Amino acid sequence: MPQDLAEIYRTTYRALVRFLYRKVWDAERAEDLAQEAFARAVVHKPDNARGWLFIVAANMARDDARRAARERRHLTLLTAEPQASEPAADDALHVENERTRVRAALEQLTPRDREVLLLWDSGVSYEAIAAQTGLARGAIGTTLARARRRLVEAYEAGQRGEHVARG
Amino acid sequence: MSHVDDGLLHAYLDGELSPAEAQGVDAHLAQCSECRRRLEEERALIARAAELLALAAPPDRELPPFRAGDVKPPTRLWWHVRLPLAWAATVLLALGIGTYLGRGVERARQPDTTAYAPPAERRALDARASPELAEKESRVKLRGSARTPPAARPPAPAPARAVADSIAPLRREPLLARADTPAAYAYGERAADSAARITHGKASQDERDRWQKGDAISVDSARRVLGVDPLVVPGVPIEAFYRGRSIGYSGVVIVEQALDSNTMIEVINARSAPALLNEVVVTGAQPVRSRPAEAAPPPAPRPAPSPGAGLFHDVRGPLSADSLATLRRLLQPLRP
Ligand SMILES: [Zn+2]
Repeated sequence: MPQDLAEIYRTTYRALVRFLYRKVWDAERAEDLAQEAFARAVVHKPDNARGWLFIVAANMARDDARRAARERRHLTLLTAEPQASEPAADDALHVENERTRVRAALEQLTPRDREVLLLWDSGVSYEAIAAQTGLARGAIGTTLARARRRLVEAYEAGQRGEHVARG
Repeated sequence: MSHVDDGLLHAYLDGELSPAEAQGVDAHLAQCSECRRRLEEERALIARAAELLALAAPPDRELPPFRAGDVKPPTRLWWHVRLPLAWAATVLLALGIGTYLGRGVERARQPDTTAYAPPAERRALDARASPELAEKESRVKLRGSARTPPAARPPAPAPARAVADSIAPLRREPLLARADTPAAYAYGERAADSAARITHGKASQDERDRWQKGDAISVDSARRVLGVDPLVVPGVPIEAFYRGRSIGYSGVVIVEQALDSNTMIEVINARSAPALLNEVVVTGAQPVRSRPAEAAPPPAPRPAPSPGAGLFHDVRGPLSADSLATLRRLLQPLRP
């Protein structure tokens, strides 16, 4: 078991971080959550550790988002000051802008389409995606086709919107 | 016959159809130019989506050590209670696992102090090791490996004839990469072996993770995922095809080839963002499916997409950079 988990850690850790990152949008937090998921796997010794990890990660990210929302509300009560944004280098700014655009595009997908797309992009197979989301295996291709198309459409619509706003 | 729907095309391109389903799609594509055109559109869409998602990926960091203390109290380290067999694996788990490339005889003699060293300390150790020393050690290690019980080392059969000449010089290198097989664990791999693997494995580790290896697939599937014949080292037995993943690539196939019974190489075939990308009409386009295809004029014959365009290739394995470069030059498309 630890041996299997070692291999899974090696091959899945980054994928799990990638998956979590698109949910919490904070690299450090995503890594912490991924570590915690593996730590739980050590204790629980699930049969299908890889699938289990993604399910646990999805749950943790959801809980994390709720907690973060509570904290934000709390913060708003404490202080009304806007957060100072640090001046960033052009490159970093560009990367950050792109990320923000993709994030905005992803948020226009339905939760289910988004989940399927993020799982696939993190290396999860159709079969495992079906098991995790409760969709029929035969529906995964259709869901992915729609999710991909909407992602690209939403991203490009966002680009156009910006150009209109600027020009 | 009805056209292939989008979902089926995506599953086909993702290499997720059963052989029978994929053959059905192949049969339709062979006689329907409309669907062939859509196939290329969907392929470009998949690449575009993957590219966008890559823009929203977390920073690519080194695989960190496993921090078991988050859940269990840091009673020293949790694997202390698990004994010899699990031992090596758990240390690997703790420190990041790499391909064993041979090194670390110094540390082999003092497993108690080094194997449990915290990662920071270990990195300091690595930093001190000079390349010369590493080189020397790897040779020593190669001899040392003769002590491995015979069962762990199957007799080496003759290498594949066709490339024996070009590969022969490469095979003098320490080829101990198979130490990361379960058999190696079973023979009570010692702490230092693990440590050596960890310390030396860092660089190759990153390389491995860049190309995540997924499920085994058929050669037909491999062709579909790539859209062209995969490149392989000719004359070297092919063990298996795997679907792969990497950020920024939409179709990745990893071909495992056995240079000999101890040496497996992996040929990476990856489709990056295709030149076709700007042909993709997604914005505002009606779903292709709803077009009255029957009413469409007979499509003009299209030039086949240039084979290999936008494809990235690499060879990885427990060989020197020079040897890998040699193998890379030998790559040829695998014809049906
Ligand atoms: Zn058709």
